[in-house]
Amino acid sequence: MVTGFGLGVIQRMSIFDDPVKNAVSKSLDAAALRQRVIANNIANVDTPGFKKSVVRFEDSLKRVLKTGALPLRVTDRRHINTNDLSSAEPRLERVETTTLRTDGNNVDVDEEMVTLVTNTVSYRAAAHFISGKFAKLRYVISGGR
Amino acid sequence: MRPFDTFSISGSGLTSQRLRLDLIANNIANVHTTRTEEGGPYKRLVPVFTQRLAVAKGNTEGVGVAVTAILKDEGSPRLVYEPGHPEADEQGFVSYPNINVANEMVDMIGATRAYEANATVIEAAKDLAEKALEIGRG
Repeated sequence: MVTGFGLGVIQRMSIFDDPVKNAVSKSLDAAALRQRVIANNIANVDTPGFKKSVVRFEDSLKRVLKTGALPLRVTDRRHINTNDLSSAEPRLERVETTTLRTDGNNVDVDEEMVTLVTNTVSYRAAAHFISGKFAKLRYVISGGR
Repeated sequence: MRPFDTFSISGSGLTSQRLRLDLIANNIANVHTTRTEEGGPYKRLVPVFTQRLAVAKGNTEGVGVAVTAILKDEGSPRLVYEPGHPEADEQGFVSYPNINVANEMVDMIGATRAYEANATVIEAAKDLAEKALEIGRG
């Protein structure tokens, strides 16, 4: 059996490099960005010609997680990592194709408010989840006391 | 991305809508003003909303709204036949400002609702920030 350089590295999962936690913190980032974009859309509700922006994230996260179902084994940092969460970045997209009013503005306040509520709830859920992760970690560190 | 950007974005919305409301109040207050410094009746004031942009990491992104100009509505004055009025012309017509109170009222409701929408976003941003501070508190 041949053991070359670099292949003897044991694949370990660091307690601070949990993929689930990374994914959740990514979605926290996305929710924070979305919050900002909604704020900008609402602030510009009366600006003539303004076109709203949206944040696309869930699709790319889903894609990354799906390819991660059969991950390539990574035993070296030069190996291709198929489950690389860094490729799931929130993307900002400007919606240029729609128009809601005669002044060219396309901000729908109702839609923005619904997105705002959904976004707040998903942010809270993600924050709650991460808090739980840390609570468990602390529990283990303190030896269950 | 700065953590308190949302507040400044929505804050710019609040400022702009409040200014719009101030102008509406001024328009309604001056609905019968026949004398101004530049002569003639008062002219309706209209705010011009422009989106505020910032360049971050090479791409421009919106960071709120600003009122970049306050324009005067140059529409012709409303002529009312009041021969006894000291400001009446030879035919007995008084030039009143081109203000339609009903329009101003509708505009006022729009400004109030837009203000509320921005305030709601600030509430949500506060909620997010509070939740973020709770992470790791256990």
